[in-house]
Amino acid sequence: MRKTYLGEFEEVVLLTVALRFEQAYGVAIQEAIQEQTGRSISISAVHATLHRLQDKGFVNSFMGGATAERGGRRKRFFTVTPAGSRALHEIKEQREQIWQQIPAKALQWKVL
Amino acid sequence: MNKSHPPLWADRLLEWFCDPHLLEEVQGDLHELYGQWVEQHGLRKAKWLYIVHSLKFLRPYSIKRLSVNNPTAMFKNYFIIAYRNLWRHKIFSFINIAGLSIGLACCMLIFLYAKDEITFDRFHKKQHQIYRLTALITDPEGSSDPWKSGSTGMVQGEAFKNEIPEIEKFVRLKEFTFIIRKEGEVFNESALYADSNFFSVFSFPLLQGNPETALRDIHSVVLTEELALKYFGTTDVLGKNLALGVEGEFENFVVTGVAEKAPQNSTIKFSILLPFAHYAGKHPDEQWLNFFLNTFVVLHPEADVKAVESKMAKVFKKNAREQIAEAAKNWGFNNQVTFGLQPLADLHLNTAWYLGNGLVDGSNPIYAYVLSAIAVFILFIACINFVNLTVAQSLKRSKEIGIRKVAGGMRKQLIIQFLGESFVICLLAFTLAILLAQWVLPFFNQLAHKKLSLSYLLDTDVMAGSVTLLLITTLAAGFYPALVLSGFQPVKVLYGKQKLTSKNYFAKSLVVVQFALATFLIIGTIAIYSQFHFLIRKDLGFEDDNLVSINLPWWEDNGKVLELFKNQLADQSSIVRIAGKSGGRYGTNVKANGKEMGTDYIRIDENYFPTLQIPLIEGRNFSQDFPSDTIEAVIVNEAFVKEAGWKEPIGQTVDFFTKQQKKVVIGVVKDYHFRSLKEKIGPQLFFQYPDVKYGQIWVKIRPDDIPQTLELLEETYRQLVPFYPYEYQFMATINARQYETEAKWKQIIQFAAILSVFISCMGLFGLTTLGIEQRTKEIGIRKVLGASVSSIVTLLSKDFVKLVVIAFFIAIPLGYFAVDQWLQNFAYRIEISGWIFIVVGLLALLIALFTISFQSVKAALSNPVNSLRNE
Repeated sequence: MRKTYLGEFEEVVLLTVALRFEQAYGVAIQEAIQEQTGRSISISAVHATLHRLQDKGFVNSFMGGATAERGGRRKRFFTVTPAGSRALHEIKEQREQIWQQIPAKALQWKVL
Repeated sequence: MNKSHPPLWADRLLEWFCDPHLLEEVQGDLHELYGQWVEQHGLRKAKWLYIVHSLKFLRPYSIKRLSVNNPTAMFKNYFIIAYRNLWRHKIFSFINIAGLSIGLACCMLIFLYAKDEITFDRFHKKQHQIYRLTALITDPEGSSDPWKSGSTGMVQGEAFKNEIPEIEKFVRLKEFTFIIRKEGEVFNESALYADSNFFSVFSFPLLQGNPETALRDIHSVVLTEELALKYFGTTDVLGKNLALGVEGEFENFVVTGVAEKAPQNSTIKFSILLPFAHYAGKHPDEQWLNFFLNTFVVLHPEADVKAVESKMAKVFKKNAREQIAEAAKNWGFNNQVTFGLQPLADLHLNTAWYLGNGLVDGSNPIYAYVLSAIAVFILFIACINFVNLTVAQSLKRSKEIGIRKVAGGMRKQLIIQFLGESFVICLLAFTLAILLAQWVLPFFNQLAHKKLSLSYLLDTDVMAGSVTLLLITTLAAGFYPALVLSGFQPVKVLYGKQKLTSKNYFAKSLVVVQFALATFLIIGTIAIYSQFHFLIRKDLGFEDDNLVSINLPWWEDNGKVLELFKNQLADQSSIVRIAGKSGGRYGTNVKANGKEMGTDYIRIDENYFPTLQIPLIEGRNFSQDFPSDTIEAVIVNEAFVKEAGWKEPIGQTVDFFTKQQKKVVIGVVKDYHFRSLKEKIGPQLFFQYPDVKYGQIWVKIRPDDIPQTLELLEETYRQLVPFYPYEYQFMATINARQYETEAKWKQIIQFAAILSVFISCMGLFGLTTLGIEQRTKEIGIRKVLGASVSSIVTLLSKDFVKLVVIAFFIAIPLGYFAVDQWLQNFAYRIEISGWIFIVVGLLALLIALFTISFQSVKAALSNPVNSLRNE
């Protein structure tokens, strides 16, 4: 089977869905990304990405948890699917594998 | 918790464009964020952010899908179905497309015509500033209609310009006929005298020469290209000499300019322009009460026309006071003269004010109205065909409609589908119509006296008009069928229970309207034909067979020429008699039997009555045995005697007050039609007084060898008058030409009638075909049970015949009214008799029956086995 490609932003969103396990919906994901990466993203971009991830089969969703500040509207909660989980793990392993082979001198500057 | 609400309209917008199954979460998230924004940034910024972020949801994935169908596939299907339907029902497609394209072509031609009429004279850059001076002449008692003169004299333009600051310029135009010689031949050419600022007032481009100075020198001349080619063979003629002859002498003019031919939608048309100063030098005139040329003025752009007119009245009163007093003393002139301003754009379509003097091609707006009405009639008839045939055919398509509805087709979609189909048909018809219009355009031009070209259609106005026409036709033809067809109920349709209401009054009344229009036009055609026939054949009271009219030179004592002509041809056996008469038409006021009356008068010689075979009722003809006849005697016609109220006309006196002479009546002639039959025979006076010059020689020739006689006449004439063009006409031709307008109307109405009858019959043919198709089984059973062919034909024709008869009765009063109105134009006219209507009724019925018979007879003759076998 052809491997489904996961873009960089998609990866971030997918990780955030996992981070906010059982509490991952649009606004929460946007906030988490802001906190974790300092990136300010519009809510529509988050929705678009989640939508795409769902199409690719990396996340599942269900409705629930209406609150007053949403005018009684329900949230769509996202959870990472096994496929999503595998994809994330695979990326992580690939990266580490590469990291381990890089000579220390090649990357001697880092963020403090 | 902050209770403020995000902007409502942004929410609505979001609800409108956002996919419904995403809306809840999206809107929820946005509202949640909005709450945070309000706390962080304040209300204003939050609202702004809300708008921006909701708009950011305008992404492909979140926008509402218009429909779940694949629209391309659907439209493709529509096209396939439309194409198959057109192809399967070839006859009906042909009827629809042919009818519509004829109707559309008619409308296109009328568009062209109307556009040309409306844009007349609009090409002048100063068109909104240019006015023509007019004079309204009313008599103080108001006893007769005021005389509306488009002409003025020579002095008004200059006087008004000098004393009224709003008038910037003036141009006078005066037509004059010259003789030009070329290689031994002589031609009459009409020239236009114009003031030297002609080219700065009117926008006629000069190909060569300086428009500022072209008419400055008194012996300069401006020619059109056409004329330059005619006389010089080249357009490179600047500085060349052209000799123009008048009154027997030739004068040289230097060509100072070559002008383009005036556009066909120009009222001012010229081939030679001469400086007005030349005319003014030869014919000086200071009279305010003469009206013989056109004066145009250019007003300041902000001038108030009413104010200028009242100023003109003041100037006239001041400058012409003495002349008015003199005229009142000498001729009893007591009329009121009011000068007015007529806008340039008004010239073409205003029939009230006389044109002339370089102004030509005046038109009556009634032509545009009648032609438009006819075109709309024809298109309307074609639309009716479409409606009726589509509805009648709809049962065949009911299954398709049912399936579409069961599969979820909305009524709106079906309406769009059927409108689309009619649009396709209209588009086809439209394309054909353009070809058709192109094809008949030369003929139409001849009919409508125009030089139109289809390239005029390539103009935004006309294009917009055509597209509108196409859309209107689509709607008119397609809307009702679309409504009916889309209204079918799938259950009924699929169980085969759908029926058109058997009465179907709408379709029937449309057929009635169609045939009423066609019958109306047939009535018009027959009436015009009869009246025309009547005009041509009417006994005019004189014999115009083999009568040739030859123009005489007008400048010298042409009585001598007439005498010489008579002497030269005296012993020719091919010539019966030669008479002389004054040219043109003159009228005057005389006093007879103590009362004042208007009359026509002409100068004749003693041969006039015998040549025309007009009998004298009383008294005697002029005779050379009475030399005093020349000065003292007059002959009058019967109408004159009646008007004067004489019991014993011979020996009575007629008082000419302009000439201050009394003349004695020596004879009375029978009335004859000296004018067109549109006018009643009025009083006419004949005399021999040499003050009025002869204008024409009338020669009665024997019918034996006309070409040779004509040659003889020409030779004799050329010998006597060597430098004057020879122009002759047969009197019968001249008489027929008086009815040119009627001849044109005759043709136009005739074509309208033929087209409308043709299209109506095509529709009728289609309807019978469909009707018979639906009744095939019935006919088969009837035949099996012993019905005769004639009874079946009657059965099939009865319904349609009924409609045609109803249409006929509707058309009669309308036709009668229209024909009666038209005939009021003629003093001598036919009676509208019942037979016209009987003939028209029978004709319409016959045409209808003939059309129906194609199909009905076929159906009645067909073998019932064929229609009953397949179940």
